[in-house]
Amino acid sequence: MVGVGGGYTPDFEGAKRSMLSPVPIFSIRRAGATEQFRGPRDGASIALIDFGDLRAGPVGKFVAARKANSYSELNGLGDVNAAVELGGFVEYFPVDWFRTRAEMRQGLGGHHGVVADFSADIIVPVIQRFTISAGPRFTWESTKATSPYFGVDAVQAAASGLPAFNAKGGAHSVGAGAQVSYRVDPQWEVHSYIEYDRLLGDAAASPLVTLRGSANQTTIGMGASYSFDVKIR
Amino acid sequence: MRTPRVSLATVLVAVSVSACAMFETRETKLQAVKTVGIISAVGDEITFATGGLTGLNNRSQSFPIGSWGLDDLIVQQATAALNGRFQVQPVTYERDAFATVEKDSIVTPVNVIRGDPFKKLVQTQVSPQGLDAYIVITKAKSNFGGGSRKVEGIGFLTYGTVLESYNQVHALYEIRVFDGKTFDVIEKMTAPPLDDVGVVRLAGPSRTIDESFTPSAGNPAQNEKLHAAITDLVARSLSTTLSDMHLADVR
Repeated sequence: MVGVGGGYTPDFEGAKRSMLSPVPIFSIRRAGATEQFRGPRDGASIALIDFGDLRAGPVGKFVAARKANSYSELNGLGDVNAAVELGGFVEYFPVDWFRTRAEMRQGLGGHHGVVADFSADIIVPVIQRFTISAGPRFTWESTKATSPYFGVDAVQAAASGLPAFNAKGGAHSVGAGAQVSYRVDPQWEVHSYIEYDRLLGDAAASPLVTLRGSANQTTIGMGASYSFDVKIR
Repeated sequence: MRTPRVSLATVLVAVSVSACAMFETRETKLQAVKTVGIISAVGDEITFATGGLTGLNNRSQSFPIGSWGLDDLIVQQATAALNGRFQVQPVTYERDAFATVEKDSIVTPVNVIRGDPFKKLVQTQVSPQGLDAYIVITKAKSNFGGGSRKVEGIGFLTYGTVLESYNQVHALYEIRVFDGKTFDVIEKMTAPPLDDVGVVRLAGPSRTIDESFTPSAGNPAQNEKLHAAITDLVARSLSTTLSDMHLADVR
């Protein structure tokens, strides 16, 4: 499946302003397999254990670099390199219309902490082509995952004018998300989503957020995708 | 600076040659096949499943439909489709053994690295041995809805939405061609969806049906309308699939 979408996302995590950016859509599934529900915040994953209603396997996520010179709010805070987060996921469908999912990932590169995402979605087919889904979200992060983005050391404090702050890990955010999708025909599908997070703990208490940003983080996205078969004989 | 170019070209040539070699091997093997036996183990039971907006209990129910003679029909139709190219010979086999073999491990990489689950059955349960190839037609699985639940073989699916619900029948099967001497799989294909695909996208032949097909209380095997709908699905999809596998010349 290939497609393109647009996401209106915060400039950086904790930012007050948002920016529209293109998002490519690409997924591969085994011949004969049908498309399955996927949440906007799910990492890229593959199920190595599949009981039908319970699936588990590796997951990965890319976190873009945060360049201090890209946004005035970050002046003096230094760059944070791009990170790749690798780990595992487990998801469970007690019934067709309800999914729970957990991901735990270890950061490499820009941060070396642990991130755990928890989500639940009620999936409601309104008519045969139109589906709505929505549910709560929660994220926990270790100190090593929080500190590079929300901590302010003495040097950064002097350079940025923000007070020094030692950001520790813990409950990172809580929120909710909703998604609608409409299948135009067997090949084309359009979708749209909104995800809201309220930063918690030291992420919310960071001077970067309290003085220059916002604890309320909203992402809006939409896109269109086209599914097709490729036969390799 | 030239070395990487040479290496890349060498790799591309090697990949191209090996791809051609694989293709030729399969085609060559099929061209050498004269006598075939056909095994079908698809139609022992029909499963009733619910999807979409369901109650909390969405367990499937299965009923025997051996009296419909679907497997005999499949063998007859496949024989008619293949007779122009191959000499089809009758074979005897333990149908239940083929129908109940566990094809998929819950640990998905195991499915990739382990051998074909039907290989040993073709070697030990089919008589006579010594034909050039054996064509084995067995149940296939498909996910349905947004989740990971699967339906298999012959079935009746009721899919609920907020505004209405839909009924759909399916006949999901896959076809393997085994080499009669090495018992390696020469060719394998899952029957693809038909053009008039049902409401719920399944990875195989299915069609939407109206309420009149819904079996009332009692044995679904007695429902002639359901029987006719399933037979039609199998008949329309079988020749197409055999043709897609280059086993039958005409659709």
